[in-house]
Amino acid sequence: MKIVVEHLRHAYPNGYCALQDVNLTFEGSQPVALIGQNGAGKTTLAKHLNGILRPTSGRILIDGVDVATAQTAQWARKVGYIFQNPDDQLFLDSVRKEFEFGPHQLGVSDEEIEHRTTRIAELVGLEKKLDSHPFDLSPTEKKFCAIGSVLMMNTGALVFDEPTCGQDKIGNDRLAAIISRLKDQGKLCIAISHDMKFVTRNFPRVVLMRKGQVLLAGSREEVFARQEILQKAYVAPPPITRVAQEVGMAKPVFTVEAFTEVIRQAGQKGKERG
Amino acid sequence: MSGSASAAIPDSPLARMHPIAKIVGICSLGLSTIAWPDFTLGLLFILVLFLAAATAHEFKPFAKIMLGFGIPVTIMLLFIQGCYSPKNTKTILDLDFARMGLEGSLYAAKIVVTLMVFLGSFYLTTKTTYMGRLVAALSQVGVPSKVGYLILASLNVVPQMQRRITVIEQSQHSRGLETSGNIISRARAFIPLLGPVVLSSLTDSQERGMTLETRGFGIKGIRQTSYIKVQWRRTDTLFTACATLLFLLVLAGSIMSGMGIVPLGIQWGGRA
Amino acid sequence: MRKAIEVKDFSFRYRNASSSTLKRISFAVDKGSFFCIIGANGAGKSTLCNALVGLIPHYFVGRSKGLVQIEGVDVAKTTIAELSKTIGLVFQNPFNQLSYTAGTVAEELAFGLGNYGVPREVMHEKVLQVARLMHVEELLDKNPLDLSGGQVQRVAFGSAFIMEPSILVLDECTAQLDPLGSEEIFNIVKDLNSSGVTVVMVDHDMERVAQYADQVMVMRKGKVAALGTPREVFTNPRTPDWGIDVPDYVKLGRGLQSAGFDLDELPIDESHAVQTVRGLL
Repeated sequence: MKIVVEHLRHAYPNGYCALQDVNLTFEGSQPVALIGQNGAGKTTLAKHLNGILRPTSGRILIDGVDVATAQTAQWARKVGYIFQNPDDQLFLDSVRKEFEFGPHQLGVSDEEIEHRTTRIAELVGLEKKLDSHPFDLSPTEKKFCAIGSVLMMNTGALVFDEPTCGQDKIGNDRLAAIISRLKDQGKLCIAISHDMKFVTRNFPRVVLMRKGQVLLAGSREEVFARQEILQKAYVAPPPITRVAQEVGMAKPVFTVEAFTEVIRQAGQKGKERG
Repeated sequence: MSGSASAAIPDSPLARMHPIAKIVGICSLGLSTIAWPDFTLGLLFILVLFLAAATAHEFKPFAKIMLGFGIPVTIMLLFIQGCYSPKNTKTILDLDFARMGLEGSLYAAKIVVTLMVFLGSFYLTTKTTYMGRLVAALSQVGVPSKVGYLILASLNVVPQMQRRITVIEQSQHSRGLETSGNIISRARAFIPLLGPVVLSSLTDSQERGMTLETRGFGIKGIRQTSYIKVQWRRTDTLFTACATLLFLLVLAGSIMSGMGIVPLGIQWGGRA
Repeated sequence: MRKAIEVKDFSFRYRNASSSTLKRISFAVDKGSFFCIIGANGAGKSTLCNALVGLIPHYFVGRSKGLVQIEGVDVAKTTIAELSKTIGLVFQNPFNQLSYTAGTVAEELAFGLGNYGVPREVMHEKVLQVARLMHVEELLDKNPLDLSGGQVQRVAFGSAFIMEPSILVLDECTAQLDPLGSEEIFNIVKDLNSSGVTVVMVDHDMERVAQYADQVMVMRKGKVAALGTPREVFTNPRTPDWGIDVPDYVKLGRGLQSAGFDLDELPIDESHAVQTVRGLL
């Protein structure tokens, strides 16, 4: 799956220009995180990736085909979109119906839908809630129901808008497992997130946005090495990375293991010198 | 501050008028039309309303509503009452399949102008009144805050449901549903949604009720104040007095003419 | 020191629920302190917040036992509106905070003041003041329903805070904000706290909890699993059983310890962690 964004500009009907000349390529199966302040244009950009929003100018190519050539409903076969607020997404009266809606629209056979339902309900942790009304789910379960209903469509790429919002540790761990599973299946995950711990743990690639423009796009190591640009975009690195920067480690460090390794090497060098 | 709150409404004498004065105006015009023996007074009021709409920069939408409602209803009522009213004695038009009678036609005209006077004055009031001002005005004259809340909250339900329907439509599209085709396919995708949309607006309003109290709503022993200042000006007093006087004069005139004391100029058999 | 909040043996079961959401909860919050409540989703944190502001038992139907006192007043024996003079709640979903009757952000902010009968001139002044503080002054004439999630969260926070309650309950009140936005809000909360306002905060950001809290209460399955200072709670080896994460600084300290480094104390916040690591280099 390859999504190319070329000179994308988007102005809302009220004249507000949310995106100005965005150029990006999403490719392969390495999960990508979109980061930046509220109002930086992340959601506006994400909503272009399956045609929910249309460019004011510029274009988006999905596997070489211009998104403008077909309706959102057609692109739903290729790119799944999970809304930030599950209440915006869920409208049926049981979890099972929510799960079945997407693949049913795409003409997937009943057997296949049933097969997927079992598998995905387990993945999102709703296997016992399939007959519940989405209204009766807890906020966390609702979020996973929304995720499950899009996973059911088995698209090559998925866009998550703020998946960690309001999640606890268990929820975050489950999300991480889902993202890693999708990556193993060769699918492209794109997520908008404010949670830098979650971003650096699960997303090898990062796109930093500010005021409708892309400031940085690259590996998490490249992006988090550019402290001055991150600061300009008001993005603070996650705790461990910050400590590493404070004590003067040259490269960004994201995990406890990597951190202790650097300290140990520094210790050895110290001994050799001493 | 109180001015900017109504920024969406263009400034005009009607927009500046106190909401309560406007309500008195609606009542006076409407009731006078009913009291008057025939449709002529109502017709005059409609003309006045058109002029008022022009001063409030609402002429076009106002004309659209009035004609859009007025023409079909007039035709319908003229046809029903004019052709089939049992009171018909004088035939004014002979169609092949039916005869149009004078009495029924006049009666139909009276109903149409009454409806249009109410519709027009109500429409102008809503178009020129910022709802927050209306509620502030109501609480000034002692209407309980809960009633004011009910009015505002119910006025807000429709735009809220519209917003919700828009996001659900986005969600449906992004899950493979095509609804931008013909009207039938849109309706088919839509009708099953109405239930959940209504349900969610209901639960929303339930949650809303609870949050209001955590912000002191309904606290006892305190007279509420409002952020918006609604001034009662001399012109409002003048308008209210004129409107009331108009109604009283019309009422008196109609009663007297009904009793045959005073013949009111022309009387086109409206008293059907 | 007088207590701002005292909860004794409080239990609550929602009507039609198969089990109690809160089970024999007891704790007290000192006046002027910063009290954090953490725990997995579904542990009963929001239900407890509702009990503190009187939504339980006055609004939610169910069976409650035990006592909740706010500045010495029994919540069950007063009204939500009366309690609102003392205790303010910022809801998890900011859209729930809106009155849905205000046509503009300014009126939304003023709604609570109007209920208290505050004179209009004072109201205008306070609205402007709070709008500046919350960075929403350009939005004052906008319809609250046209705002983004982050903007609504600011307005919601402002509308609770404008009433100057002596106790402020924050139920994950920055979930929709970006890091800078939530930091701005927490700076305001911290200032309020320094000026004497008691703060009760529910949050999933453990680094933030460790940074701000005087006391941390861990809830698990409707019960109090632990209560103590951030250090006592986060360095307790039982944290995984409670379904909570610990600040990354604690994890870093543990990682260093198991790699053979000798630490006097596990760091729980950033400056402490930096100091600890510098000591090793």
